[in-house]
Amino acid sequence: MHTLPQQLANGLFLGSMYGLIAIGYTMVYGIVQLINFAHGEIFMTGAFGALAVYTNLPSSMSIWAALPLMLVGGAIVSVLIAVGAERFAYRPLRNAPRLAPLITAIGLSLALQQAVFNWYPHATAGKHFPQLPGGPFHIGSVDVQSGDLFLLGAAIVCMIALGVFVRSSRTGRAMQATAQDPDTAKLMGVDTNRIIIIAFAIGGLFAAVAGVAYGLKYGQVKYDIGFQAGLKAFTAAVLGGIGNIYGAMLGGLVLGIAEACATAYIANVPGMEQFGGGAWAQVWAFVLLIVVLLVRPQGLLGERVADRA
Amino acid sequence: MTDLPIAAAEEAVAATATHGNRRTAPFIPLPLTAARATTLAGAVITIASTFMSWTYTTDFPGDLTVSGYPGGLQIMTLIGAILTGVVALGTFGLTGLRWLTPSRTNNGVLLLALATLGTTWYTVIDIAAKLGGLANLDPGGFVAFIGALVLFAGALALPLDRHPEEPADAEYYELGRAEGISAVVRGYAWLREARLHHSELRVPDARKLNRWLQRLVIVVVYALGLKILTFGLATDYSDIFIGYLIVLAVGVWGLSAGGLLKQFQQLTQHNKKFSSTVGVLTAIAYPFAQNNELWANLGASVLIVGTVALGLNIVVGLTGLLDLGYVAFLGVGAYTAALVSGSPFSIWSGTQFPFWAAALAGMGAACVFGVLIGAPTLRLRGDYLAIVTLGFGEIFRIIVRNLDGVSGPKVTNGPNGIAQIPDLSIFGYNLGDTHSVGSFTLGRFANYYLLMLVITIIVVLVFTRAADSRIGRSWIAIREDETAATAMGINGFRVKLVAFALGASLAGLAGTVFAHVTNSVVPDPYVFSGSVPPNSAFLLAAVVLGGMGTVSGPILGAALLYVIPQKLSFLSQYELFAFGIALILIMRFRPEGIIPNRRRQLEFHEDETPAPGNRPMGDDTVPATTAGA
Amino acid sequence: MTALLEVEDLRVAYGKIEAVKGISFSVEAGQVVTLIGTNGAGKTTTLRTLSGLLKPIGGRVRFDGKVLTRVPAHKIVALGLAHSPEGRHIFPRLTIEENLKLGAYLRKDTTGITKDINRAYDLFPILGERRKQAAGTLSGGEQQMLAMGRALMSQPKLLMLDEPSMGLSPIMMQKIMATIVELKAQGTTILLVEQNAQAALSLADQAHVMEIGTIKLSGTGQDLLHDEGVRKTYLGED
Repeated sequence: MHTLPQQLANGLFLGSMYGLIAIGYTMVYGIVQLINFAHGEIFMTGAFGALAVYTNLPSSMSIWAALPLMLVGGAIVSVLIAVGAERFAYRPLRNAPRLAPLITAIGLSLALQQAVFNWYPHATAGKHFPQLPGGPFHIGSVDVQSGDLFLLGAAIVCMIALGVFVRSSRTGRAMQATAQDPDTAKLMGVDTNRIIIIAFAIGGLFAAVAGVAYGLKYGQVKYDIGFQAGLKAFTAAVLGGIGNIYGAMLGGLVLGIAEACATAYIANVPGMEQFGGGAWAQVWAFVLLIVVLLVRPQGLLGERVADRA
Repeated sequence: MTDLPIAAAEEAVAATATHGNRRTAPFIPLPLTAARATTLAGAVITIASTFMSWTYTTDFPGDLTVSGYPGGLQIMTLIGAILTGVVALGTFGLTGLRWLTPSRTNNGVLLLALATLGTTWYTVIDIAAKLGGLANLDPGGFVAFIGALVLFAGALALPLDRHPEEPADAEYYELGRAEGISAVVRGYAWLREARLHHSELRVPDARKLNRWLQRLVIVVVYALGLKILTFGLATDYSDIFIGYLIVLAVGVWGLSAGGLLKQFQQLTQHNKKFSSTVGVLTAIAYPFAQNNELWANLGASVLIVGTVALGLNIVVGLTGLLDLGYVAFLGVGAYTAALVSGSPFSIWSGTQFPFWAAALAGMGAACVFGVLIGAPTLRLRGDYLAIVTLGFGEIFRIIVRNLDGVSGPKVTNGPNGIAQIPDLSIFGYNLGDTHSVGSFTLGRFANYYLLMLVITIIVVLVFTRAADSRIGRSWIAIREDETAATAMGINGFRVKLVAFALGASLAGLAGTVFAHVTNSVVPDPYVFSGSVPPNSAFLLAAVVLGGMGTVSGPILGAALLYVIPQKLSFLSQYELFAFGIALILIMRFRPEGIIPNRRRQLEFHEDETPAPGNRPMGDDTVPATTAGA
Repeated sequence: MTALLEVEDLRVAYGKIEAVKGISFSVEAGQVVTLIGTNGAGKTTTLRTLSGLLKPIGGRVRFDGKVLTRVPAHKIVALGLAHSPEGRHIFPRLTIEENLKLGAYLRKDTTGITKDINRAYDLFPILGERRKQAAGTLSGGEQQMLAMGRALMSQPKLLMLDEPSMGLSPIMMQKIMATIVELKAQGTTILLVEQNAQAALSLADQAHVMEIGTIKLSGTGQDLLHDEGVRKTYLGED
């Protein structure tokens, strides 16, 4: 199963998830220049919100009927947390020195993770998450699980919907305007606070979709999945050019594929025999981030942004 | 270079406070004499109650059943009530005690009464809750309950220094939509007006005292501080420790409200050399003050995390760079020291460096990693550094875990780590052995405590020297406004890299001792957040809680964050949750931390000046973060 | 008749530094009123306060019968006060058409918006030719045209123009000034802040000279144009 197409497919699925989460980072960053460190945790709470819905549904219900309800449940949890964080934690710090909201974000991330750890029933260890039946499907030489297909489909749908929304809707235009020049956007009558809330909400929504997809793919969710996923997704956002939604998705895919290929092929490089395999995947992702920051700090699709604050 | 305008601004603030803006009003309308009498009566009742029995059984921690003398938590109530009574007498004008409230405000009395009320009610409620009902209270408990309430009520009726009245047409944008509901707005305005306001009251200059008297005061205060500390550490039950914390925290707040802390600061500023010498001597006295290896270990651990936090403070507090993987540099130092320690598990088990060489190696290795991480990222905007350091912290742990000979080359033994690190021996003094000094014995941890103290002093010296130097001013300039600093000819990248590498080296230095204290190094402690300090979140919380940019802040913050969970073991499960909430609340309400850096305080509270959110002209420089202002 | 805009004892501060120290003036419907003065006189600060980007520390602004002092910026636009900011501030990565549509952000009448977009293209034909182009690719003068066109899209009762001629070539400057004359002829009420005092005064009904946060001198445009002090200080004659 270590064929190149298989690795590319693995990377594609992994990358779609990174990309979905990265959207949240990049939208918020694009508008308020804040790294919302708690976003990984918002992803995690989305998965747990969906799981909570599933647990409370009658066991006779099929997973296909439950899935929409789980998505709604996860989305409600994630969006509420994301919007609440903006309203009560970040907004009061809008004019504070830059370090203040960053530290708040870290605090929020710790608090959310620990809240799930302490108060979600039996969440101290991994929780079983339902999986989609069917599969694996064989497409050519590639094996695909049904969870992977859901992930890929969700990523495509979300990406297209977001693209259309940002490009053609009135609110989407206002969002771009706010990202480019918030004061002038206000002069056009744009309620920038509302736009910021919407950015957080969309980020939360996509994170929840990613959370459900994560659960379906791996069959298990844990209170600490947000940290790793958040780190990766932020890396993806930076790779793609932070502030650019298409960049986030592209960055996610590049990162996912790079990781899959590094896992499979690094060990074949002479002298690197001992640095392959899953244990080193994180390290190579990090090396990739450093290299991109050195060579193209604005990211793949990013424009050079001056340090504004 | 920014000193002048800030000094001027401070004077302006002080001027408005003293000329006309002082507003004193009681919360409970009572004649002044009645209020004073109630306060004193409350104090007397509360004191008397501590000599009575509070509960029937000895099941409650610290025997509270005995009449005739106070025990356990009653001591906390007693201390609180006596302190309140004495300070109240001084504030009311009793000759000989007036020095207790130099600024003549009743706010100190109120806060001390609050401390008494807090600890007393906590005890009574704790008894009822632990033993199952109010029936378990003896009359003494009820007397204490009522007495503390009378005391607090009396203090509320005293004329208190409060925030100036809110303007009638004030608007509260922070309320959002609730701004439309007049009841909410009125309640909010009332809350704002209810806040005590005493920080700008003038106090008589303590520096006019006789020089020797000043020094005597410093010695007494430090000795008292050591006594209070060891007293708190020696409390047997977490219940008693909570009572202790209430009295200590609110009590210190109360004494500072009266202006005593301000005067003490004047004294230490005036006798800088003397007070730091006394401070060091007090710290040296710590292991001698109680012959307890457990507390010596605690002291050594606090010094280690405190020193690392201080190193982080150079990066975060002085230079304004957010380093989220700082603990990895501690790890680099620890692993380096372990590899050259002569441990049989090290791949170089034959090599055993003397301590100074190991320390230098640890520093050097950490410095190299600091530069490797810093060089590519410090040219970019600050946020990237945060994420790259976060990644590095994570990668460091993964790498040392992988270098076990199976997943990767054999260097660190993977998850098993490098064990059996021999104890240090400096000038023939083996730190692992117990030594006798006069009538005192110094155990292993006491030895390491003293070694760590030396390292802490070195780091403090490096920190203060650097902060006051040319490069330190460049750091602060970069933190305040990088564009302007660069325009003034500061090489931002180089200056930031120096700060970053220096911070890393200091963490590496502390890591070398850390490896020896713990006897072994394993990958697990080097995480972003975890239940056991040190981890990066813990260190950051220590810096933020203590006060960014100060020397004593991070050490105090580390001490509090380390000791409190140790003493309150039932909290350990919620410790990280509490860290998270604390970070959010501190940033919201007191971003300057417990010990504010004056410059920093002005910066954080810039928006409390008359025009919120307004920034200087030149539209292009207006940060996007004002979007929602 | 009360004036469209009444400013009374307006005071604005950045931190502890007062930039506008109590100014009063008014703008009648149909008038062109100009504020002139050197850099740092507080002209831009005044406009940014009127449009709600800055909060005053004192005084009162009354626009079309409503007190503006406490209204947030995005609601002020809805009342009919448009602001074309100093330095143009077009949205560089949006197209010209999208920029214009944002100017009409609060309007719901799609047909009216299309009509007004076309009117803007009539006023500035060059914009119509490049409607699908990113606004950031325009030249300075074209960006200024776009900024003015965008401000007009909200159908304002009062148009505030901040330094429309800043950094433009003399030819472009003339073009912009001609447009202002044209707008005036169409009956648009304009509050104009300009450093080019000659041009501003010659088309203004009322003019005020600002110096370090206060109004030093007021009068009709023609009066000030012939005032000796103004000629010396602002028109470079001696």
